[in-house]
Amino acid sequence: MNDILSIILKDTYSLSQLKHRLRILKSSLLKAFFGGENLTFSPTQLSWLKSLPTEFYQKFNKDNVYQIFTEIEKEISKLKTLTIYLTFEPDELTLTQLGAYVRTNFGPNFLLDIKLKPDLIAGPALVWKGIYKDYSLKAKLEARKAEILQEFKKFLR
Amino acid sequence: MPILPVDAVTLVVIFTLIIITLLYLREYNQRKKLEITGDKFLKEIKEKGWENLHQSIKKSQAILGQAELEGIKVVADSKIETSKMGQDFSKELSESLDSSKQTIVSAQNQLLQFMADLQKRSQEFEEASKKTGEQRINQLFDRIEQRLADFLVQTEQKTTTSIELELKSTRQLIETYKNEQLKLIDENIVAMMEQTLGMVLGEKLSLKDQLDLIYEALEKAKVEKFIV
Repeated sequence: MNDILSIILKDTYSLSQLKHRLRILKSSLLKAFFGGENLTFSPTQLSWLKSLPTEFYQKFNKDNVYQIFTEIEKEISKLKTLTIYLTFEPDELTLTQLGAYVRTNFGPNFLLDIKLKPDLIAGPALVWKGIYKDYSLKAKLEARKAEILQEFKKFLR
Repeated sequence: MPILPVDAVTLVVIFTLIIITLLYLREYNQRKKLEITGDKFLKEIKEKGWENLHQSIKKSQAILGQAELEGIKVVADSKIETSKMGQDFSKELSESLDSSKQTIVSAQNQLLQFMADLQKRSQEFEEASKKTGEQRINQLFDRIEQRLADFLVQTEQKTTTSIELELKSTRQLIETYKNEQLKLIDENIVAMMEQTLGMVLGEKLSLKDQLDLIYEALEKAKVEKFIV
């Protein structure tokens, strides 16, 4: 089970990306095993599905496909997830760079939960194990608000 | 039976007429006699009446004479009695008047004495009342003066305290309002600054810069051991 999840997580860095990829993988496997309507995937989705090794697919069959996905869902909830509030929506490449950095510095199989929060101005805010910490420019401005206002008021006089 | 020249009815009628005539005559005679007797009787009575009247007049004249004598006597007696009674009455009246006069004089003296006492007591009472009244009025004025002074002092203190409290409250209110307004202005300045920075940096900050800021934050979190 860990092998399957590790292979998926190899180039999957965010929680939403993971859920999305699991959904298309499950759809394609169910289509392969049980037939049904034809599926259409985007080039990116198709590329990712093709990037998975043959041995990976060989682990699935008609009998265990549902069970494996159920167990994967359980495993996901156990993964270490770092929530990052950003002022912009990162594209696939940026997410990959960010994910790689996090895994290099904090450990493998680290998962990011990216959320959009434009009022941070710049920089991120992090949530780790339920604790929120703001490293954004807004927090820095808030911390030095008195000084800034003091300086600002000099112009008013 | 010989035949009569008239019948039986005529005879009866004639006979009846004769009887009636006889009866009338008899009645007439009787009446005549009665009238003569009556006249005679009346004459006798008249005579007797005149005699009686005469006697009566005589007797009444005698009675009248007697009565006059009696009357004169009674009048004389009455005059004597009246004179006597008048003298007695005069005497008693005089005595009564003297007694009454003395009594009145005594009563008048007593009344004058009583009035004099009354006047004296009244004057004493008036003086005492006046004195007491003056004392009470003086006490009352003293108390009023004291209370008024106390009241004025208390009122002054209360007014001063109230004004001070009011001033303090107003100053606090102004201070609070001022602080709130300044806070609001500060908040607005910060909000405007953040908004401006957000707009400027959103456009000017490159993806690399954004990533650098994120790496920097992650590095800091690591150093602070926020992420373990």
